[in-house]
Amino acid sequence: TDFRSTDIHPDGYPTVDAVKFMGQELSKLSNGRHSIKVFNNSALGAEKDTIEQAKIGAIAMTRVNIAPMNNICAPTVVPTMPFLFRSKEHMRAVLDGPIGEEILKSCEAQGFIGLAFYDSGARSIYTVKKPIKSLADAKGLKVRVQQSDLWVSLLEAMGANATPMPFGEVYTALKTGLVDAAENNYPSYESSRHFEVAKYYSKTEHSMAPEMLLFSKKIWDGLSAEDQKALRQAAKNSVPFMRKLWDEREEKSLATVKAGGAQIIEVDKASFQAVMKPVYDKFITDAKLKDLVKRIQETK
Amino acid sequence: MLTKFCAAIAKACLRLGVFGLLLLLLAVSYQVFGRYVMNNTPTWAESLALLLVLYVTMLGCAVGVRDAGHIGMELLDGLLPSNWRRPLEILIHLLTMLFGGLMAWNCAEMFLSVRSYLIPTLGVSESLRYVPMVLAGLLIMLFSFEHIVALQRGEEVKPAWH
Amino acid sequence: MALTILCIAFFGLLILGVPVAFAIGLSALATILYEGLPMAVIFQQMTSGMNVFSFLAIPFFIFAGELMLYGGIADKIVDFARALVGHVRGGLGMSNVVACTLFGGVSGSPVADVSAMGAVMIPMMKKEGYGADYAVNVTTHAALVGALMPTSHNMIIYSLAAGGKVSIAKLILAGLIPALVLTICNLVAAYGVAVKRGYPAGSFPGWAIVARSLAAALPGLFVVVLILGGIMSGVFTATESAAVAVLYALFLCVVIYRSLKLEQFVKAAAKAVKTTGVVLLLIGISSAFGYIISLYEVADLTGRALTNFSSSPWVIFLLVNLILFVLGTFLDMAATILVCTPIFLPICMKYGMGEIQFGIVMLINCALGLNTPPVGTTQVVGCAIGGVSVGTVMKTIWPFYGALIAALMLVTFVPAFSLWLPGIVFP
Ligand code: NA
Ligand code: NA
Repeated sequence: TDFRSTDIHPDGYPTVDAVKFMGQELSKLSNGRHSIKVFNNSALGAEKDTIEQAKIGAIAMTRVNIAPMNNICAPTVVPTMPFLFRSKEHMRAVLDGPIGEEILKSCEAQGFIGLAFYDSGARSIYTVKKPIKSLADAKGLKVRVQQSDLWVSLLEAMGANATPMPFGEVYTALKTGLVDAAENNYPSYESSRHFEVAKYYSKTEHSMAPEMLLFSKKIWDGLSAEDQKALRQAAKNSVPFMRKLWDEREEKSLATVKAGGAQIIEVDKASFQAVMKPVYDKFITDAKLKDLVKRIQETK
Repeated sequence: MLTKFCAAIAKACLRLGVFGLLLLLLAVSYQVFGRYVMNNTPTWAESLALLLVLYVTMLGCAVGVRDAGHIGMELLDGLLPSNWRRPLEILIHLLTMLFGGLMAWNCAEMFLSVRSYLIPTLGVSESLRYVPMVLAGLLIMLFSFEHIVALQRGEEVKPAWH
Repeated sequence: MALTILCIAFFGLLILGVPVAFAIGLSALATILYEGLPMAVIFQQMTSGMNVFSFLAIPFFIFAGELMLYGGIADKIVDFARALVGHVRGGLGMSNVVACTLFGGVSGSPVADVSAMGAVMIPMMKKEGYGADYAVNVTTHAALVGALMPTSHNMIIYSLAAGGKVSIAKLILAGLIPALVLTICNLVAAYGVAVKRGYPAGSFPGWAIVARSLAAALPGLFVVVLILGGIMSGVFTATESAAVAVLYALFLCVVIYRSLKLEQFVKAAAKAVKTTGVVLLLIGISSAFGYIISLYEVADLTGRALTNFSSSPWVIFLLVNLILFVLGTFLDMAATILVCTPIFLPICMKYGMGEIQFGIVMLINCALGLNTPPVGTTQVVGCAIGGVSVGTVMKTIWPFYGALIAALMLVTFVPAFSLWLPGIVFP
């Protein structure tokens, strides 16, 4: 079978190339019986749409950010939490280990087989007028966020005016001053050309919400155990490949935005971290989630 | 009897639609007001507006079937002999009915599929997006049926309200 | 095979006379059934296709247009246009062009424009001895300019179809000069035919009357400035500007003109709900259709076919125009934009046409389709008001088509027509 997979990013983006690589691996592992076709650039819909499509079995696989899964499968909120991971290495160790496995597995009850986590870097705030050096600078800023409860409370905890807005409108909104700031990782800051209008990239690194690779349980259940194993293995093999591409891409994007006049600003992160308690109180509600957070913090 | 019943339903649909449209206007205006006057953008306004617009649209769309407001081409109508016209019109209404039925059925399936998801920043179930679809599907079936009955009787369905 | 099913089912249903939206939906469902995918995906895409924040502008623009109509703003615009150009030969025809263009700027939709202006002008023209075919053609063609004016919700649909990264403010500016060119072409055509048929000229009422009627029409026309200024200065998003347009229209009709009673207000709202239902259903179902287009990679296939055919940009642009025109004759405006943009925009960009210019080309093509049978929405409304058949109108449509096609060719092959103004405002 040629499994259909979706992505919102264009060709050449690390997530897209990683799933294509996974397809080659799958082909090898299944002696050419299976392959993967990636529909990129949101050809089959936004992330939320493709999640619903995977659930009803219209597509086999989708690569989405973890944020739109937050309202579907509770444990996915944990890796999204602000200032949870100490570093990229810490995040990778957690997600590669039993905790990552547990979170992937938790989506099964909702109709998804979680195959892997991909990197999405650290997200930081970028502003048009003045840099953010500490918490005080964020107060009252109109910051564009995704339509997500967690991002809204995160920015509100910083004292900012969280303004949900579709991604496509952000460039113009920054340019015309409808919003003062937005937040994202380096590659998106670069590919959206937002650095042309918002020149101050302040390294708040407030979240390292990863990407997820989800398989439709409806289609999965019709596959042989052998094929399921091949899919899991192929997905696993694509993770180191993806990370290598990701690290390269981050460096390239950083160079591009700097050349385009963006300033990268160091931030007093502790001042932000100190006000995040309300976010944890609101989203880490039951014992299971609290335990996950604790175990992540204890992971070396 | 059927006509009276359908007319009452169509009128109620339009009234609800008008109410929804005004709520929609309020939600979006309040978003602008919040951003500038209170410097605190109401984050629910956009989500609410997106949910409301589905209700307004689907109510209007169902009434559109009754009032023959959906645009089609009337090519065969002029070419066919006059005694073919009625069967053709009945066929068109049956096809519209089929679409309504498939819409109601499949949207009910989507309703169940996403029932446990919450709409971000609104906190209500995602399945509320599919309620108007199911409803409109059923109404489209009803109104197409009314048209077929009217055709058999040689009557015409008149808009119930405005 | 799947695409064959899609085409046969679609055109078959259309010829039978099934409304366009249901014909698109049923043919998409038949294709999905053949592919063995769950049918629910069509309705899921339809729902999410309607559930786009920028599309909230559509019910608002429609509502604002209805309020302006019921609140008598349309009449004030007619008065002004008559005072201004009523004394030229074929003066009522000329005033019709001016009035339609101006009201198009207020309502944003060619169909609303025809129903508003046509209802006033077409009977008036018939009474003064103009042919019904002439009256209908002048109105329906002048109304098309509305698709290029700041309140055009079709621009918003295009901006989204083009990937959501096209600036709406730039698009609006890009449409202004082509709108002017279109209007001039329309005036020339209306004048030419009037001279040939020996239609009468009115008398000039004097500048004082012109000024007075302008003053009365101005508050209504101000909505164009409000929207353009609001979006360009970043005070509102396009959606918010549409909501503000409704509030402004309400304020105008209730407080300033005191011309809107509660009953008319409810009527306007009910009409807006119905029209929204028709338009947004078509948009939703077109996105579901687009899903299938993506699934079978029709864009790539078409692109390769066109590139094999010729490598000259002139030929490619001409071909794209031709295909858009033919599709536009069958589909409605929103449907054509949503289905064709992802297919033809990449091709045209490869040959050097930017997304702003392509947008204007697309809009004019779609507008042309509104006045072409078999599915010509604007034309049908115009004919209904004028009490003539589409066939009669088609016999004398050529000068008006000629005017539109001349404007289309200018915009296609002379980028400056659309790009000069946005280039000046946003250097
Ligand atoms: Na307009
Ligand atoms: Na047409």
